[in-house]
Amino acid sequence: MSLRDVFERQPQRRYIMFGGKGGLGKTTLSATCAYWLARQGKRVLLFSVDPQASLSDIFQKDIFGKGAVPIIENLWAQEIDADKRIQEYQDEIRKKILDMYGFDRVPEEIESYIASASAEPAMEESAIFDAVVDIIVKGDYDYYIYDLVPLGHALYYLSMAKVYDEWINKITKLREEMGQYDRVAATLRRQEKVEEDKILEELRYIKSRINTSSQILTDKQKTAFFFVLAPEEMIILDTRKAAELFARFDVPISGYVVNRVLPQELRRDNIPTYLKNRIQLQEKYLGEIRNSLGGQILAYVPEMERDVTGLPMIERLAGQLFENSR
Amino acid sequence: MADKDQPRKGGIFQVFKDIVYGMSSHEMTRHAVRSRASMEHLFILITMGDLLGVPILPPYYALRLLPYVTPQIATWKRRMLRERDITDTLG
Repeated sequence: MSLRDVFERQPQRRYIMFGGKGGLGKTTLSATCAYWLARQGKRVLLFSVDPQASLSDIFQKDIFGKGAVPIIENLWAQEIDADKRIQEYQDEIRKKILDMYGFDRVPEEIESYIASASAEPAMEESAIFDAVVDIIVKGDYDYYIYDLVPLGHALYYLSMAKVYDEWINKITKLREEMGQYDRVAATLRRQEKVEEDKILEELRYIKSRINTSSQILTDKQKTAFFFVLAPEEMIILDTRKAAELFARFDVPISGYVVNRVLPQELRRDNIPTYLKNRIQLQEKYLGEIRNSLGGQILAYVPEMERDVTGLPMIERLAGQLFENSR
Repeated sequence: MADKDQPRKGGIFQVFKDIVYGMSSHEMTRHAVRSRASMEHLFILITMGDLLGVPILPPYYALRLLPYVTPQIATWKRRMLRERDITDTLG
């Protein structure tokens, strides 16, 4: 099966992710895939969950924090500005406190909590996580392509959905129990109505957002997760370990893409020993990859003679990846 | 208690009802309200624990709840940080 077959045979898979170690070409492959799908007439949004996003670099256009920016017909790209989002979110919380209690300024203690909570290292990831939910809930596109962060981070991102899910379930339950006491007191006092619990409402809202995210990440019908690797020893080992971990989070792995394969034609020429050795070594690791992953390999992507940036290069790579993949 | 605000009607019958309520359900109501208040403080602890230096995950969503517990933060902190002695367990 080729990468193209995956898309043609499983059109219901709308959430596409490329994962892998840093620097292996996740962004390049995400962009190429998004480009090809858009050319097929699908409405595609490519967005980055990486605080150090590189979509601006690959499209040679500053899109950071500007929402969904059109790239070509049917293709939009978005880089989330986490800092801006955190700031807007803090302001929203402050405004709510002022409106609810008619304060003219937020109490000092509360203000310092808002400030310190925002300095937490997890805050940036959470803000991006929440921004992604926003993007997905709107449902404006046929395909959503995640430009993921490197492996370790991606695992953190995936586990976040799971941890949040458990956290929110526990406290929602506690809040519901509290509601029972409210009702007991109300009945004993013969009150007809129990005041609505705004916190419970808020918790249910948070819960629905977290569920949306974690359901997508583990939905075998709608999500395709591709691993990107290269024919190098360390990368093969790390990918194998990561695949096991991802499987533990029930992430449906749809296949592997082998990037950075030195072109065949190099072999024919009279080449320097250094390059010859590299090619031999790569041949060995390609053999290993073929043996262990076999039918799960969807494409071999050749190492290009220059960086893949700008639309003409992306188009060329899309041709290699989707039209002539072996 | 809450009955104070309710309009009095029914004369002697209402007085009788109030006496029965006072003798029977009042203590139960108090208990329910107190348990509810304890749980409220527990709830704030597990969502806003950072305010006392107890690290809590995840702060992003916890912030959404902050406006609703703002008025209770002061009493909650007092209760959580107060020194306890034997009379607390007897009380």
